[in-house]
Amino acid sequence: MSGMARREFLRAVGAGVGALSAVRALAEDAANSSAAEGAKPQAAVHDARWFDRLPDKAVRCRLCPRECTVADVERGYCGVRENQGGDYKTLVYGNLCSTNIDPIEKKPLFHYLPGTLALSVATAGCNLECKFCQNWRTSQYRPEQVESIVIPPENLVRAAKARRTPTIAYTYTEPVVFAEYVYDTAAIGRKEGVGSVMVSNGYIREQAMRELANVLTAVKVDLKAFTEKFYAEQCAGRLAPVLETLEVLKDVGIHTEVVTLLVPTLNDSEEEIKGLAKWLVSHLGPDVPVHFSRFHPIYRVKNLPPTPVETLNRARRISMDAGLRYVYVGNVPFNEGESTYCPSCGKVVIRRVGYNVDSSMLKSGACGSCGRKIAGVWSQEDALAFKPKPPKEAKAGGG
Amino acid sequence: MKRREFLARAAAASALAASAAAGLRCAAGGEPSAPAPGAKARVVVIRHESLAAEGRGPTAAQVRELLDEAARALAGDAKAADAWARSFKPGDRLGIKVNCLGYPTRPAVATGLAAAVGSIGLAPERIILWDRTNRELKAAGYELSDAGRGTRCFGTDALASRENGGYTADVFSSGSIGSLYSRIVVDDTTALVSACVLKDHNIAGLTCALKNFYGSIHNPNKYHDNGCDPFVADVCAHPLIRERLRLAVCDATRPQYQGGPSVRPQWQWPYGGLIVAADPVAVDRIGLEILARKRAAVGLPSLEAGNRPVLYLASAQARGLGVADLDRIEVVSVGKAWLDVG
Repeated sequence: MSGMARREFLRAVGAGVGALSAVRALAEDAANSSAAEGAKPQAAVHDARWFDRLPDKAVRCRLCPRECTVADVERGYCGVRENQGGDYKTLVYGNLCSTNIDPIEKKPLFHYLPGTLALSVATAGCNLECKFCQNWRTSQYRPEQVESIVIPPENLVRAAKARRTPTIAYTYTEPVVFAEYVYDTAAIGRKEGVGSVMVSNGYIREQAMRELANVLTAVKVDLKAFTEKFYAEQCAGRLAPVLETLEVLKDVGIHTEVVTLLVPTLNDSEEEIKGLAKWLVSHLGPDVPVHFSRFHPIYRVKNLPPTPVETLNRARRISMDAGLRYVYVGNVPFNEGESTYCPSCGKVVIRRVGYNVDSSMLKSGACGSCGRKIAGVWSQEDALAFKPKPPKEAKAGGG
Repeated sequence: MKRREFLARAAAASALAASAAAGLRCAAGGEPSAPAPGAKARVVVIRHESLAAEGRGPTAAQVRELLDEAARALAGDAKAADAWARSFKPGDRLGIKVNCLGYPTRPAVATGLAAAVGSIGLAPERIILWDRTNRELKAAGYELSDAGRGTRCFGTDALASRENGGYTADVFSSGSIGSLYSRIVVDDTTALVSACVLKDHNIAGLTCALKNFYGSIHNPNKYHDNGCDPFVADVCAHPLIRERLRLAVCDATRPQYQGGPSVRPQWQWPYGGLIVAADPVAVDRIGLEILARKRAAVGLPSLEAGNRPVLYLASAQARGLGVADLDRIEVVSVGKAWLDVG
């Protein structure tokens, strides 16, 4: 398989989420590698990393802001973490239900190695329940309810290298719930020259996010709306922890892009978008890339139409007026908002059509026309060189 | 208590029940068990020392005999088969939903129930004892069977080859919840019994007849916020459950008043009871009262004081699933008094 041409491989695995043929291909690689090296495949059940023990064999999960208290034999909200006699376990360590090789633009990450591919993987489960989830058939399922195959971290890294994908993307469902696997795989990837990006809802506690940032090379966060009401009613979550995560990512200094899916009538008001954009400018800076994506009716929100393109264009204009420099329109092919423009001269720097880079005028991370530096991570060397800044408190204390 | 004495008391209870409103649901299904305004929900609590035995517990035959008595008391019929026939028909396909997570419904309770209902001419092959997974059923002591003869017993996951892991392909919404339901419910049953176990729950406060149906959906983990309220009520309010649910039979042989839902023998005691009613909310309310009395008797704080009051019963009543107000429930006590928790 490793000798297969990229085009041939892509044709073989097809596009879209849930291509189990691709999972099987990876598993075969994994099995062959393991057999060749005498290693035993690892089980999907693995010690959880972030939790506290409580009396009477209960545990408190410390991974996400829910902080579930989980009694013996029960699972947390995500459905993939189980208390087994007072020991907290993840049931999805490498238990991959979706794998694909995607353009990095599909994550979407537009300012991170444009035009490259990412080996993209997911397990079952999520720590939110968005009523408009596009991947609900895996994110809202428990691991035993989906077809999946266990691929240990080192084998996934090996598969990425064999396919010459510079990046592994933890995506589709919610990588927070399989964070142990993300951490271990990304750590190995760093040593092996493979970057790791987390495509996340940002619903994670600070400690876990900071630890993951030690091994990741970029993060994309879904900022699903800018009201607590939306988070409570549409996602069974809260806004504040997501904003805190964005601030942590800024503090750490890791490359971050933000996506907001605009759902008609629910989070697309001018006032809300203005508020969101102003917050991003003031907390993350004007250079953070922001994507407004088009909603399509699915899962539990089938009574609303797809987002009008004009709504997305309007959101882009509002956000740029608020001071954001790189604002994109997503899920609308051939929209001018897919491309990157130089904030100084206004010329196209990277022209995109759908998930493809049509042309690039980027030269050494700068506009090819005027030479202005464009914010982003433009080489694998830069991606792998990333080291998180220490927390502000530590810096203030002289550490 | 001697058997003769016990049966005499039971007969008296049946006579009492006969004078009251019918306590069993119509076999035709339709609307659930909420009594008419002003009428009381009737719950039978039947107790016997054979139910309280440690170790293997009662036999299925012992359970069947007591359930027959409970049915007579509930319906006011002289013959148990007549009482069961008020709720079930020979042509039904009956799903007996047991609870195997942590501290389970005893297999003898479920098999005794199957035998009792089978007395109306309902073929064993038309009865399924079920829960979420084969693994959990086996761990709880159930003998898996889908061989075509005798009562069947398997988990939803056994239907994985049928579709979508054994669950419906589409989401069913009910109030605040959106879930896939077990194909056992949708495809294989016309009638349901909640064969639950009476136990404490660390989040919801109580797991009994209603919460048992968390095992019928694919995503129960999503619905534990706010003490599972109103999610438990919403799961049961969906017509898939509501229109099939005919009876609740609660295994209160050795209830667990603390540390649930996992098994904590130190907090179980030999109550030796079965709680039976058409109204699952009333069964839960009576079960809750029993646990509350026991907690008080041993000096444990109330669930309210422990910040886990059982909130979902009021929501269930509001949705017309049954009666949660204690003063609107008539308890027919057979054997030892139901509030004697010593």
